[in-house]
Amino acid sequence: MGAADGSPPASAPAGQQAPPPPSAAPRSAASGADAEAAPASAPRGHPWLAALLAWLVPGLGHLYLGRWLRGLAFCALVSTAALVGVTLDGKLWRPESGKPLSYLATPGAMGLGAGYFVLRTGLGYRGDVTAAGYEYGSAFLLTAGLMNVLLVLDALDVSRGRKR
Amino acid sequence: MSHFVLMVLYAFLVSVFFALLWRSERPDRVRLFLQMFLGLVVGGLAVAWLMFPFPSGPPAPIP
Repeated sequence: MGAADGSPPASAPAGQQAPPPPSAAPRSAASGADAEAAPASAPRGHPWLAALLAWLVPGLGHLYLGRWLRGLAFCALVSTAALVGVTLDGKLWRPESGKPLSYLATPGAMGLGAGYFVLRTGLGYRGDVTAAGYEYGSAFLLTAGLMNVLLVLDALDVSRGRKR
Repeated sequence: MSHFVLMVLYAFLVSVFFALLWRSERPDRVRLFLQMFLGLVVGGLAVAWLMFPFPSGPPAPIP
């Protein structure tokens, strides 16, 4: 224990105020070597609004937080993966009785946010199991949803100042 | 699109995504992208080569 992990040094003389830790980052934000190597930035925006926007539209949470290039790049990447999946007639997961794994895959696919509901209810998209690219398309669609789930968590971290 | 093109496209999208998500400096991003991209493509080809001697069997029934 010592200044490196945020606690006062054990060798401080009795009755003398220990110097503050070198990092002003909150203790909860600096856990592990990575957090100490990359100092956290100031919190910005509202965390839950950033998370909601990030879930609704891929990259929108980062745009809201002022991370323009990353937001646009993430939007392009996730949208491309989803579009390829739809083009290949992949499966857009939903809960199915007798298929326990569908209850795991559905939240992953729903990570696409508004796109999931637009495809499923707005456009009536189901996928085509007889299509040649069905398996590949399913992988692309599920990956797009899971990538957006990671973007939601990343937007939360950026908004709370845990990440630049 | 062929299986190989789709595999390369998948590897490219995933590698760029994680390089942007997990690294903040350009050299680090390029290094992670190359590691992931080559790992996915070369690893996929290696697994395909290992599976080549196994018989594919009859096609799965359509549910």
